Amino acid sequence: MRLACRLAPLAAALAFAASAHAAAPGAIAPDFTVNDAAGKPVKLSDYRGKHVVLEWTNPECPFVRKHYDSANMQGLQKQYGTKDVVWLSVNSTNRNHSEFKTGAQMAAWMQEQGGVPKAVLIDDTSATGKAYSARTTPQMFVIDPAGKIVYAGAIDDKRSANPADVKTAKNFVRAALDEALAGKPVSVASTSPYGCSVKY
Amino acid sequence: MSVVHAPFRTLALALLAALGTLASAAPVRTPNVEAEIVAERTALVPGQTATVALRLAIRERWHTYWQNPGDSGLPTTLAWNLPAGFTAGPIQWPAPKALPAGPLVNYGYDGEVFHLIDLAVPAGLTAGASVTLAARADWLVCEDTCIPEGADLALTLPVATSAERDPKWGARIAATRDALPKPLAGWTATATGDGDKLRLALMPAAGAADPGALRFFPLREGMIEPSRAQTLTRDGERYVLTLPVAFQLQPFDRVAGVITAGNGIGGAKAATLDVPLAGSVVAGPKPLDAPAPKLNVGAGATSTLSLAAAIALAFGGGLLLNLMPCVFPVLSLKLMSFVSHHDAKATMRREAFAFAAGVVLSFVLLALALVALRAAGEQLGWGFQLQSPAVVAGLAVLFFVLALNLSGVFEFGMFAPQAAAGWTAKNRTLDAFGSGVLAVIVASPCTAPFMGAALGYAIAQPLPSTLAVFVALGLGMALPYVLLAWFPGWRRALPKPGAWMERVKQFLAFPLYATVAWLAWVLGAQVDNDAVLRLAIVLVAVAFAAWAWRTYRVEGSQSWAIAAVAGVVAAAVLIAPLLDSPVASAQARPAKVDASWRAFTPSVVAELTAAGRPVFVDFTAAWCVTCQVNKRLVLNDAEVLAAFERRNVALVRADWTRRDPDITRALADLGRNGVPVYVLYRPGRDPVMLPEVLQAAMIHDALARL
Repeated sequence: MRLACRLAPLAAALAFAASAHAAAPGAIAPDFTVNDAAGKPVKLSDYRGKHVVLEWTNPECPFVRKHYDSANMQGLQKQYGTKDVVWLSVNSTNRNHSEFKTGAQMAAWMQEQGGVPKAVLIDDTSATGKAYSARTTPQMFVIDPAGKIVYAGAIDDKRSANPADVKTAKNFVRAALDEALAGKPVSVASTSPYGCSVKY
Repeated sequence: MSVVHAPFRTLALALLAALGTLASAAPVRTPNVEAEIVAERTALVPGQTATVALRLAIRERWHTYWQNPGDSGLPTTLAWNLPAGFTAGPIQWPAPKALPAGPLVNYGYDGEVFHLIDLAVPAGLTAGASVTLAARADWLVCEDTCIPEGADLALTLPVATSAERDPKWGARIAATRDALPKPLAGWTATATGDGDKLRLALMPAAGAADPGALRFFPLREGMIEPSRAQTLTRDGERYVLTLPVAFQLQPFDRVAGVITAGNGIGGAKAATLDVPLAGSVVAGPKPLDAPAPKLNVGAGATSTLSLAAAIALAFGGGLLLNLMPCVFPVLSLKLMSFVSHHDAKATMRREAFAFAAGVVLSFVLLALALVALRAAGEQLGWGFQLQSPAVVAGLAVLFFVLALNLSGVFEFGMFAPQAAAGWTAKNRTLDAFGSGVLAVIVASPCTAPFMGAALGYAIAQPLPSTLAVFVALGLGMALPYVLLAWFPGWRRALPKPGAWMERVKQFLAFPLYATVAWLAWVLGAQVDNDAVLRLAIVLVAVAFAAWAWRTYRVEGSQSWAIAAVAGVVAAAVLIAPLLDSPVASAQARPAKVDASWRAFTPSVVAELTAAGRPVFVDFTAAWCVTCQVNKRLVLNDAEVLAAFERRNVALVRADWTRRDPDITRALADLGRNGVPVYVLYRPGRDPVMLPEVLQAAMIHDALARL
């Protein structure tokens, strides 16, 4: 028992070291199983062989609203959904936070917005958000069919909360998906995300 | 969003412009900010530079952002609409603060902030005219939630050949300008990449004072990880700030940013620097996936004491230890031996040095034990020896024996056969050394309060620095005795020997009895009520043995000697289970927590502050005297508790009586290594640390600043 107590921190440290570089472009995307809005478990590795987009979201965040009010996010979801890209919207707001939304609330919100992600994931322990070190909402990841992260960062280059800026912005996610779907390397693979803090 | 009635504003501005004499502007109030453009001087002078400022008065607990917002957020922006010929310079950003948001850290401002802008006024303006300076300001203001706000602002100023300082804002703008980060003067800085660390080495200007706590704010994102700790060390003359490279690294070849210094650096509170990167960096570890959530502590609370300051503090702390209730009785005896002996100078000096050596050596041994156990992966802090019930029980017996001796129940000489007694008396050097060791052992419950910062510093340092601090502590404690031995003349100030000495000696037994009572209570908190009873019976057996031995020495009957030995054996048998009980750990038995206090867990503070509640954490232990005094006199005070309730402050007690790695880690994050520590966590702002010797007024003050 005592030995176990002493080894536990060491094991934790080793696990930590092993996972240290796990959510940067070029690395294999950390696997997760998180319930969707209906309570059904969704496992990332089940989508090996397809391109996957992870979108960190929070309906309470004005930066998220910028991209939904301008129909930017829903447009991407529709456009790439038809190209067999799996789009997962993740809400990592901790269940103890005042901005927490239940699965039913998230599903209703997404429907109201006309969004069509493959699933809305309720990461109510924030574990998946932390595994990806998601800092902001929105924050975007593009994962290739081999499970490798090919893009991580902001949705676009206009760092504002103003929906009007969407029209003139360069959309990094669209550029990354177009290149990845064409089998080309992603030219801008890493940007600094902008937005509200993830409510851990 | 702000509601600006543009037509009315224009009308009002036109009216005031017609009057043409006064600067005019009205602040715009949004739900969370009051915003306005203000000017340093009352008029614009053609051909000169005028300084204006975007003033944001931010709602309490909310914040806006610096040019690099940190983990999340957005910098404040200003778009000017100026008459022909005017040009506006960039925003001159004041030094930011590190603002925690859950496990993330943002860079920005709370309270009131002035964003300075220099305007070039065209030379062709005619005096007597008036000019309206208009701008659109946009900012993101956040507490727990974020709200983008903005306002159309304008300021109308008259044109004149000379201008006075604006009576309302002139001084504030000038003060803001004085406090702006300036290029680091006199110091030289270099930046070296070393794997996932970025080392910023700062060579002080000749004669520069200690800059205090340092924190680096990079101008751009993707360089360093905002939420991970920056550590300050000394390398010879240089200060080395080790920065964690960003997890999502955006490659860079220059290191540009602002460095803030608690005590100032290069003659300013904050300095800018921009140096090329030597070496190379790789992306750092994931910041949010650490094994346990970290408490977020602002730059001010991080321990960045310099070695010299830590040694000085340790020395002062050592001196003060002589006055502590747990040390005083033992040292008084030492002092009395000075009074009673009229020895040769040389003997006295040798004895004083032996005493000092005993003190210093004991501190060094404690330091080595602490360092060795830490290296073995144990989560320890100062006072760790008192987390063991065996040590507590042993100390109780030792103090009880000493107290019986002072009360006159027996004399130490009675134990030893005649020859050995003579030897002890002659070998007073060894006796003095032993007193030194004893003094350190009994001092340990009193060390932490005075030594919090210095010990916290020492433990995190390389071995030579740790030892230097502990040696300084010992030297401080031994100094008064060495001085008295060295300058026999000073001893004349001490009272003359006489019958009073016996009475004083007997009186000094009572603080020791009190200490025993307190240690019994500590044992009760660590183990259980049975342990206290067991200890009490052990003490009875010890008292019986001492009394029987004295009777044997006086009357010479063998049966009394046998009774004494039986008493010692009984005590030894009874105390054995206590000595065998493992080091108390928090898991063994949940800490007892008062109803209004909740028990500390690593996440409880983050959760409560995330919910918008201020949190007061009492880091305490049953064996910590200062903690108990503060608890009884301040924390249990009805008015203090009422004040906490009025402010909706959540009360958390971190009980370190038993070993608890989570609490040890939380203390380390605060730069501390022992208890007591009192911290008031404020949502979205830096936590406030209160002094170790607590007063109700300090708590009321801290709450008033919530």
